Amino acid sequence: MTTEAVLKDVYESEELLTGTDAVAQAVRLADVDVFSAYPIRPYTGVMDRLAKFIADGKFDAEYIIADGEHSQFEIAKHASSVGARAFAGSSGTGWLYATEALAATATDRLPVLALVGNRALDDPGAFGVEHNDAMLVRDLGWLIVWASTAQEALDTTLIGYRVAEDPKVRMPCAVAMDGGYLTHSQHMVKIPTKEAVKRFLPPYDLGKRRLHPDNPISIAPQVNEDWGMEIRRQNWEAAKRAVGVIRKAYDEFESIFHAGYPNPFFEEFMTSDADTIIVGMGTVSAAAKTAVRQMRKKGDKVGYIKLRWFRPFPSEELRKALSRASHLGVIDRDFAHGGPDDAGVLFTDISSALYRAKSRPPVIDFIAGLAGREVSIEDVIAMFRKVEKAEEADVVNWVRVREKSNRGSQGNSSGGKSD
Amino acid sequence: MTTVEAPLKNVDVDEEPIKRFEVNYRGIFQKTLAYRITKDLVYIAHSDGKTAFSNGRYSDDPQRNGVPCANFAFFSDGLSEEELEAIASAKMDIDRADIVAVLDDTMVKGLEPWGHYGIRPINEKVVPGGTLLVISRRPPEDLVQFLEKKPFTYNLAILPGEASFAGLWYYRDDNTDVRVLGAVARISPEIISLDKAIAYVRKTYKNDEKVKALEDAYNSTKLSVVSANDGIVWPHRKPVLPAWNEFDEGIVVKAAPREFKMGPRGLGRNLDYKRGTSKTQRPVVRFDICTKCTLCWYECPDECFDPTPDGLYDVNYEYCTGCGRCAEVCPVNECIVMVDELNFKNDDSPWESFKKDPQSYTKMIEEKKGKGRMMPSHVTGKGESMSEVSKPVPFKVERGN
Amino acid sequence: MTTEEKMEEFKGANLYSNVHKIDLPEFYTSGHRTCQGCESALVMRDFIKAAGPRTVVTGATGCMYVANTSYMTTPWVVPWMHTQLGGGGSSAVGMAAGLRALMRKGKIPKENINVINFSGDLGGGDMGIGGVSMALQTDYNLLVIMYDNESAANTDIQATNMTPWGAQTTFSPTGTKERIMHKRWKKNVAAMLAVGHPNCKYVATACATFPPMDYMNKVKKALSIGGPTFIHTLDPCPKGWDYHPRYSGDLGQLAVKTGVFPLYEIVRGEVRYTYDAAAKKRVPVREYLEKQGRFSHFKEEDYDFFQQRVDEMWEEWEVPGIAPIRGALKLRK
Repeated sequence: MTTEAVLKDVYESEELLTGTDAVAQAVRLADVDVFSAYPIRPYTGVMDRLAKFIADGKFDAEYIIADGEHSQFEIAKHASSVGARAFAGSSGTGWLYATEALAATATDRLPVLALVGNRALDDPGAFGVEHNDAMLVRDLGWLIVWASTAQEALDTTLIGYRVAEDPKVRMPCAVAMDGGYLTHSQHMVKIPTKEAVKRFLPPYDLGKRRLHPDNPISIAPQVNEDWGMEIRRQNWEAAKRAVGVIRKAYDEFESIFHAGYPNPFFEEFMTSDADTIIVGMGTVSAAAKTAVRQMRKKGDKVGYIKLRWFRPFPSEELRKALSRASHLGVIDRDFAHGGPDDAGVLFTDISSALYRAKSRPPVIDFIAGLAGREVSIEDVIAMFRKVEKAEEADVVNWVRVREKSNRGSQGNSSGGKSD
Repeated sequence: MTTVEAPLKNVDVDEEPIKRFEVNYRGIFQKTLAYRITKDLVYIAHSDGKTAFSNGRYSDDPQRNGVPCANFAFFSDGLSEEELEAIASAKMDIDRADIVAVLDDTMVKGLEPWGHYGIRPINEKVVPGGTLLVISRRPPEDLVQFLEKKPFTYNLAILPGEASFAGLWYYRDDNTDVRVLGAVARISPEIISLDKAIAYVRKTYKNDEKVKALEDAYNSTKLSVVSANDGIVWPHRKPVLPAWNEFDEGIVVKAAPREFKMGPRGLGRNLDYKRGTSKTQRPVVRFDICTKCTLCWYECPDECFDPTPDGLYDVNYEYCTGCGRCAEVCPVNECIVMVDELNFKNDDSPWESFKKDPQSYTKMIEEKKGKGRMMPSHVTGKGESMSEVSKPVPFKVERGN
Repeated sequence: MTTEEKMEEFKGANLYSNVHKIDLPEFYTSGHRTCQGCESALVMRDFIKAAGPRTVVTGATGCMYVANTSYMTTPWVVPWMHTQLGGGGSSAVGMAAGLRALMRKGKIPKENINVINFSGDLGGGDMGIGGVSMALQTDYNLLVIMYDNESAANTDIQATNMTPWGAQTTFSPTGTKERIMHKRWKKNVAAMLAVGHPNCKYVATACATFPPMDYMNKVKKALSIGGPTFIHTLDPCPKGWDYHPRYSGDLGQLAVKTGVFPLYEIVRGEVRYTYDAAAKKRVPVREYLEKQGRFSHFKEEDYDFFQQRVDEMWEEWEVPGIAPIRGALKLRK
């Protein structure tokens, strides 16, 4: 069979979809049993689309409009506990409103999948993207993966369920995407057939942990110091096991859908011979990859790594990919005020992973694109120039922040470029 | 066992320059009392130039009425506060103590403060040559028959008195707090001296009665030595704590057994957590006069009554917490009466014993009941009223057949 | 409605007609770390006895979570799961939705599985009231039981909005300047929920042991009527109310007979008093209050004030003991 014939077999159509629409398609295809909604921009589109599926009879699931994000995620958690595949999602402060339920979902080891449409946290109220919302659960036992294209959003949702529900893992999974950019811009997306998805994603089976009268168990009794540490130790093990499970899931996804994810954890763009590499997550990757293409034409040996899986953090793989470069930069669409070196979250994680590398190239950080501000190709080129002289640069560099007022240069409303 | 004037000294092992004090008490209604004792001990030691601090066992919280709890106090003659803290209290619970005090003597039957802990001996933490201090009206022989046999000798000190149950908001001060201080001064002048204790109590409470109570306790505390052969082989097992990879992930516990058949022990119960060590008194049932109204079974908040084929209700004392609701709700005079738990040696089925020989069962329980009847007031701290029954309700022959 | 008609109305519910007919097996069994004399333990024991073993239960954080399940052990015979303090209503919705979806899609066999959540007064009436309200707006078959011991008893007795006026808690201690620190009157949760949720066909208040079987039968009615339902139980608490554990039943009875805690059920909008404290001669509230250490600081004026508020509830409210609205009938005229 030719690849084209295979693709015809596994995809039913190609449609113009936003990132949130693409996730809705995946949720429908995954035959999710229960989803709970509460409105907050920019993730809400996924729920709008799912509600319409229900109204049109295209999707069979229990659909609950909750009274807030805390309830939304409590509903998902408890639906998951009785053996139902569950979906929820949120953005920004809404995601934080659910934090208690999010923490318990992780420690209950229930594989709920959530869409986080990244949004700046209040105050001030802002709709634009920042990664801090999703990152705030980074230590709690959630799998967190960033999608940066609509196709990737659909694929990653299916892969996310498969990894989360694997008996070796059983952890909740957050699929994150940049609010305003991926959540709202529309791209052509290939939509798999239900049959093909069925081959990839087995039915959700919680085994002897399923809460049902035929399986009488008590879940999450109170513990004292005799137990808590051992339970944390179990969860740590599961998070480590997730790495292997992710690899296997992508292998099988590849064999069915030929989707082109050679490395599940991150995409390496022109890095094999690169001296200078920048790492980023999310939609900034489009500008970054374009910048690399342009600079390569001029002979600059630059490369870009688009990180997908933020938890589990692919330390070993990143060490391998990054330590061969001579200079490194990290783009943080987040902030970590008062943290190590006053740098962003991603920079801190990458620096920490690199500490164990045999060769440790100098690395600097770029705080960019906060509260939805754009990051342009020129911005990334400027970043590469700075990274090339990382030894002389500041550790943390704010990009495109107004260092001067725009008086005298009216018309440039979004502020001046960084130098 | 021999009675002694001064306690046996700890000579063999403990060269550590610290003293550990544990006070075992019943949750909530003895909480304030226990905290007063450890607090006062620390103040007195402090006034004598010692380093000392106290804390409560964190896992006891939230405390429950009747459930055994513990407070600790630690003393040193020269260590810094930090060193004392590091040596004595790096753990939530302690594993040994120079003095183990007991505010309710029924706790000598064992302690089970929470699930999957097992019923532990009250003298588990007593060090060789250390002291078990019990507030009791009973002679030492009565208490030792419930204690686990230890491979070494230690002291048993008895402070004559009743268990003091003050309430939560309404606190009844019956001087038990200072009486324990007096007993500690007697047992271990290294922890607090009598002089310092008197000076502290006089200054703090400005009440001669309390000073007198302290001195009285100092003098009236009875000391005896428990030798290596005294006591019993402990009948309860200590549960195993599995390694992290030896139990299910996902915080899942198998449900309690779903079992029911008529008769004693016919109900499936939580096997890893019994509740019997919560009780100070147990309900004693005169099956011969029971009208089978079901109210004891209906109102028991611990599911301890087992329905029997003849319409009576057996009591499972392993799980009974001794709350007294059955006695309160029972409409028949003298049918269910609360009796001191130390009058009983085992938790065997009373119904079986009644069926075997109704008359001698009835005679036996009437002896245990005695003539005195204690009725607690509603507000716990307001004490209780005592009355006497002139003679037992006559044995009802029909039920006995 | 005659008694016969009422029995007919809940024919499928298999109501208990006398105490000797109560089922003997337990689905919440001995071996829980509750206080001696704990009334809430009976609330647990009785709801699951009334519901039977084909039930799934969640328990919100609170006394009946922490006390009942001490890890590696459980007194629950039926499937049970912890939910967060404010997660009561939403946990029930999650389970009910999950089960319904799985049954409809043929993933598990179709059957009637009861879905019950219990939350305390702090969880169900304060923090979680939004979730309970949402649950009562759905069309799922579920029951939320708010066991109300009138304090955050699990954290060693702090005031909630269900704590009665004047009671001592660690958040409302009596002092030399302020004798009465808790100046809020108890929140009227059951009636508020009944009034505001058009989908909810059954709301009741209950006391576990008085009148006998009343509570268990209310649970049976709630589960049989269909849709989301709510029961508020008043649970005398020897720990926080400070009385001897022997008298829990006594105090429950007194709370009802003094009229302090109105007993009723609202069936499809129709109010039925299950103990009519308006018609019967009410016991003076003092007899109830002075039996509890938490009111041991009360003076005459405090007893009087308390009595006056209770009298007002029964004599002046448009729907006595339920709706604190006065004079609506007069206005209509």
